Amino acid sequence: MQKAAFDPVQMAIPFFVLAVILEILLGRFARAKANYETRDTAMSLSMGFGSTVAGVLFGGVIFAATVWVWRHRIFTIPMTAVWAWVVLFLAEDLTYYWFHRLSHERRFWWASHVNHHTSTHYNLTTALRQTWTGGVAGTWLLWLPLTFLGFPPAMVAIQKGISLIYQFWIHTEVIRRMPPWFEAVFNTPSHHRVHHARNARYLDANYAGILIIWDRLFGTFIPEVDEEPCRYGTVKNLGNFNLLYNVFHEWIGIAKDIASSKSTREALGYVFGPPGWSPDGSRDTSHTLKAKWRARLAAASPAEGEEKAP
Amino acid sequence: MDKTLLIQLGGSLAGVVLLVALAAWLGVARPTPPLDTEAARALLAIEFPDHRPDAVWIAADGAGLIARDGTLALVLYRRGDGYVARDLPWSMIVALKPTNGRLKVRLADARPVFAVSDDAWPPKELA
Repeated sequence: MQKAAFDPVQMAIPFFVLAVILEILLGRFARAKANYETRDTAMSLSMGFGSTVAGVLFGGVIFAATVWVWRHRIFTIPMTAVWAWVVLFLAEDLTYYWFHRLSHERRFWWASHVNHHTSTHYNLTTALRQTWTGGVAGTWLLWLPLTFLGFPPAMVAIQKGISLIYQFWIHTEVIRRMPPWFEAVFNTPSHHRVHHARNARYLDANYAGILIIWDRLFGTFIPEVDEEPCRYGTVKNLGNFNLLYNVFHEWIGIAKDIASSKSTREALGYVFGPPGWSPDGSRDTSHTLKAKWRARLAAASPAEGEEKAP
Repeated sequence: MDKTLLIQLGGSLAGVVLLVALAAWLGVARPTPPLDTEAARALLAIEFPDHRPDAVWIAADGAGLIARDGTLALVLYRRGDGYVARDLPWSMIVALKPTNGRLKVRLADARPVFAVSDDAWPPKELA
């Protein structure tokens, strides 16, 4: 009940490897759009490997906290009940949505998540570009209420694994669009390309894990439009291919900003404000970038600007 | 550390090495031909949409550019198969001194090198 009998992610690793090989070959033989740059690929895969090591190092703390919460649970939900899996599927996916939104909209958690977004490519190795500092950021706490409600920790761990595996295949440019019914309900390569795009139009959108319905429900859904292809990476792309810089650069940025803060309020703004927040507004946030983009669009063609801006 | 975990980590590491080697051998990077005037303008419009540069200088090897917008220098340089954009005070750029046809720009997270056809700086395009 406490420890999962199997780890779906570990089981999926051979599939991940084969899928990456297939994608590289599809790109090579011009069967599909799939760009690979060696140093970018090396960084993505090294991040994936390092996150496994970080997970081992921090796993004990998370496991201990989860067991403690499990001992103080409200209900005991049976792991063998189909309804329990259905409810957990929805609850875990909703938890993921809010975890992911928080990880983009507040700098402290963005510092941990940003390295998933630093690739200027969008291929299956990007999916493996996972954080090393998630344990420190504490976003794992968001899943504890599920255990507190009574979902066994093993069940939650398996569902989290299933979600992670689902999100692997959507990191590709090989698939353009899924059938409309699928695009309406599920997160897809198209929806997730938007999420990884650095175009002002697409910023802070499509936080879904498996179901895109959460974005539609909470107003963060933006569709991919053919007239504006996604450009990948972060607003300010990394200047180098240094692995450790990729892991820690935003944490270092936070530390420098705190050191230069003139008040506690400023320091808190730097840590918990949106990425790009500054006391004098001299830096750009997603919000200001979108406002500037809308203004440019309106200036270029006033009617079109109003009509097209999401 | 238990043996199973070590085997898993070892296997993962071997997988990483294998896939990186495969990407290096068969992977298709984005084409990044040397920048010409048109490509430089298009890149500037994407990376600095709110700026209207007065002057643009393209590096001799076409792997980067420096543009001037008033007191600001707009810097673009190739990283892998893409470009990185940074802005700096113009005074910093104009104070640089190229050596042996190379102009080194000091950024917070990189030291891009721009090829200059001679060691005269700033070039006539930016003067």
